[in-house]
Amino acid sequence: MEEGEFVCIVGPFGCGKSTLLELISGLRSHYEGTIKIKGENPEEARLKRRIGYTFQRPTLLPWRNIIQNIMLPLEIAQIKDSQRAYDLLGMVELSHLAKKAPYELSGGMQQLISIVRSLVLDPDILLLDEPFSSIDEINRAKMHLHLLRIHQQTNKTTLLVTHSLSEAVFLSERIIVMTSNPGRVKKIIDVNLSIRNEEILFSEEFLNYIRIIREELKNEKK
Amino acid sequence: MKKNNFFLPITGISVLFLLWYLIVTIFNVPEYIFPGPLAVLNSWIENKGVILSNAAITFEAALFGFLIANLASVIIALFVCFHRELENIIMPVAIVVKTMPVIALVPLLIIWLGSGLSSKIAAAALVCFFPALVNVLEGVKVLDKKMVWLFKVYAAGKFQLITKLIFPSILPYLFAALKTSSSLAVVGTLVGEFIGSNRGLGFIIISNYYNMNTSLVFAAIITSSAIGICFYYLIHFLEKKMTFGEERIIMERDRKAPTPYKYLERR
Repeated sequence: MEEGEFVCIVGPFGCGKSTLLELISGLRSHYEGTIKIKGENPEEARLKRRIGYTFQRPTLLPWRNIIQNIMLPLEIAQIKDSQRAYDLLGMVELSHLAKKAPYELSGGMQQLISIVRSLVLDPDILLLDEPFSSIDEINRAKMHLHLLRIHQQTNKTTLLVTHSLSEAVFLSERIIVMTSNPGRVKKIIDVNLSIRNEEILFSEEFLNYIRIIREELKNEKK
Repeated sequence: MKKNNFFLPITGISVLFLLWYLIVTIFNVPEYIFPGPLAVLNSWIENKGVILSNAAITFEAALFGFLIANLASVIIALFVCFHRELENIIMPVAIVVKTMPVIALVPLLIIWLGSGLSSKIAAAALVCFFPALVNVLEGVKVLDKKMVWLFKVYAAGKFQLITKLIFPSILPYLFAALKTSSSLAVVGTLVGEFIGSNRGLGFIIISNYYNMNTSLVFAAIITSSAIGICFYYLIHFLEKKMTFGEERIIMERDRKAPTPYKYLERR
């Protein structure tokens, strides 16, 4: 992966997509081979707090309001600068939510806040583990636009795991297709969409990419 | 709604007292067997000084025992949180201690700690310990694994993990522990005082029972239950002040929701 790139991993259930993220983040440490994040192994990167991670479910602490939740990594890292949290929230144009409690937000918004939180320490890599898998289709499209904007503004190296093909094609510059039993990388596909907006979802160009990935995943079942 | 909160409990207790009064009057029960509420009230006023000073002693022992038991159970729960296998060592020991009747252990406590305050504190702590431990342990068991991982991603220290995640998460369970053990603490202290003491409400009860001064026994019993009630509501008040966000909202929403009975009525 190159710096600033947005890469998606797609693959069937149980092919080790999430496990791969956990390995990259240094949360798991049993693997063979090498993983390097800017020249460091995952464990080192984690201890230096160079990793941003968003889980499948929102992990906002219910007893903290939104801005306090975003400040949590700063507090853990003992950084006094709380302005960064406000700046990030302003960047996604959600400053009006700062004093709300997590349960007052929709699931999608909670996930968006979780993503903002994982950016607050300015990590080297942003890992997103199926962040929108439990959100309805229409809201998910909104979240995708939010996420794209975040990516454009921060230019953060992002790795997103998903099982939604359209999500992968819509968001990423490169797609890694994985297969299960045994879990391994099947193919890497470059995505060059001319524009990324809601119109493109129905264009030939977009559907073509989905067709290619489908074929890859279909072949595997035989 | 607000009115009901006060009105119903007071009506309930008034009816109880009225029944008590009627039974004693109608059946003409002698005072040394079953004194009426007025006789008990008289006796309470006559012996106000003695009752209150001894109630203070009982309260002190109950409070300390209560604090020690809950503090110990929180510390043990934190250990279990970091070393899950410890639970398999601690629970059997706790169950063994729990199944030994406190009344049988108190003589031992008096031999070891003397007949003063410390043996009463120990008795109260013993009674409180098990329910407190079970509740708090339940709290650390339901900790959200992903939340723990979130803290791990940011390489949070143990202290940060405890203060920023574990403690706030177990707070509702801790309050359940505090509530259950608050009323038990007084019972534990009384048992301690029955067996070996010359002070405290337990002593008042046991010594006046020998003298057949039943009214005073009743007065002391009611006082001890009043201590328990105050204790419980103190914790309840603290809980309302300290729990936050979702739990409190859910609690309040549930209170407003129609009860099953109302639901049945409508059908």
